[in-house]
Amino acid sequence: MSFDFALIVDSIPKILTGIGLTFQLLFLSAVLGLALAIILLLMRISGRWYLVAPTMVYIYIFRGTPILVQIFIIYYGLPQLEFVRDSIFWPILREAFGCAIVALTLNTGAYVSEILRGGVLGVDRGLKEAGAALGLSARHRFIYVTAPIAIRLCLPAYSNDVISLMKSTALASTITLLDMMGIARTIVAETYAPYEIFISVMVVYLILTWIIQRGFGWMEKRMSRHVRSEA
Amino acid sequence: MKKAFTLLAAFAVLALGVPQTASAETLRVGMECTYAPFNFKNANGELDGYDVDVAKGVAEIIGADLEFVCQQWDGMIPALLANKFDLVVASMSITDSRLKKMDFSQPYRISVGRLVGKKNAGLNLFDDAGKPIAANFAGVKVGLERASTYASWFEAVLPDAEVALYDDNESLYLDLVNGRTDIIMTNPMKAYLRFLSKDDGAGFEFVSPQVDERKFFGIGVGIGLRQGNDALKGRLNGALKTLTEDGSLEKYALKYFPFAIHNEKWIPVQ
Repeated sequence: MSFDFALIVDSIPKILTGIGLTFQLLFLSAVLGLALAIILLLMRISGRWYLVAPTMVYIYIFRGTPILVQIFIIYYGLPQLEFVRDSIFWPILREAFGCAIVALTLNTGAYVSEILRGGVLGVDRGLKEAGAALGLSARHRFIYVTAPIAIRLCLPAYSNDVISLMKSTALASTITLLDMMGIARTIVAETYAPYEIFISVMVVYLILTWIIQRGFGWMEKRMSRHVRSEA
Repeated sequence: MKKAFTLLAAFAVLALGVPQTASAETLRVGMECTYAPFNFKNANGELDGYDVDVAKGVAEIIGADLEFVCQQWDGMIPALLANKFDLVVASMSITDSRLKKMDFSQPYRISVGRLVGKKNAGLNLFDDAGKPIAANFAGVKVGLERASTYASWFEAVLPDAEVALYDDNESLYLDLVNGRTDIIMTNPMKAYLRFLSKDDGAGFEFVSPQVDERKFFGIGVGIGLRQGNDALKGRLNGALKTLTEDGSLEKYALKYFPFAIHNEKWIPVQ
């Protein structure tokens, strides 16, 4: 096998034309997924069984199945049902982009809500009791005491999830989207040079991961600056 | 007339019980025997299919006896070169790399692409001369297989078309039914066998003529033979010309497809 370095250099700019779509997939599903995760978290810690039970089923299903299967069911499966094609969701589900966003959001939402729950559970009971002693209502205790500490506790795990979400966006290439991976697969099909092209994609994804890691690292440092100064 | 005479001669030979006339040659024909509907064993265990009919038709005209040899695809060309058989009538496409090793007759089946879309959609994508009308492709979503000849054709001929690329043939039909694409372009025989003749394809039809551009789709399928057999090649081409012009090729195709799969006018290539 001959290894063609020039092909790597040639193909990276082509692959980068898909980076916009990769970013759109990442940011939209990260933001929507976080919103979904917060709703799921509030349901989960509400203590009311009719809110807790559906949340637990939902999280179990979406964490317990491969995201590729979820994407295929949403993209190829749902349109088989007549009422889905007639529903108000069809304009979103008709588009491959819409399906990818829906699948990535639902998936990451399940994971992130568990991360957030871990953060909330990690907050020291004494702090909540202190809040109660100060006469704060349950809602105020959650907003002013629990949430800020929980967010700090969640950040490292959350940054992991954003990175894995970024990698999951590559699966959108299986449903016709031309994100970086989609473009790379098309080039491979044209050049029959999988090594060179996929190594190029790898390099680009690694750089993105590095940027996300550094971003969260900076945020973690900043949010725990008071802890650091005391130590 | 000539055909009738040949037939008569063949019967005479059979009637007389003579195994072979002095002039009769036997041509051994290689094919996979598993590639329906082109060459396959039917329910009675007999070889059947478009390739088989073409081979029989040609043999009848050139007055040769046939002997079929079943050969796996990957060993087809080596077996031909090793003189295991004399002709390949196995739906083998004529390509430049194959022409370096072997020879081909004129095509007896063409490689074309054809668009499939919803029935009565009134898309009006092609003019009467069979050329695409670019303006009418605006807003039409097209499904194609990734890096296929059809994708290259669209890129070159209709670069502004809104194209979605799929990884396999089945997904094309699935998303066409789901309404994510309005039309797809693929091999018309595949489209007929896998989609249009099935329940899922009931509401769909071909919405274009056969697009036959050699630059993209290749020359087609020919009878393969060893190099340096120009006399035999000339006889094969003569026979194929007759089969084209007397409607036999069309008759063979209509057994399996509702359309002809050869070049309906005899236009020699090369």
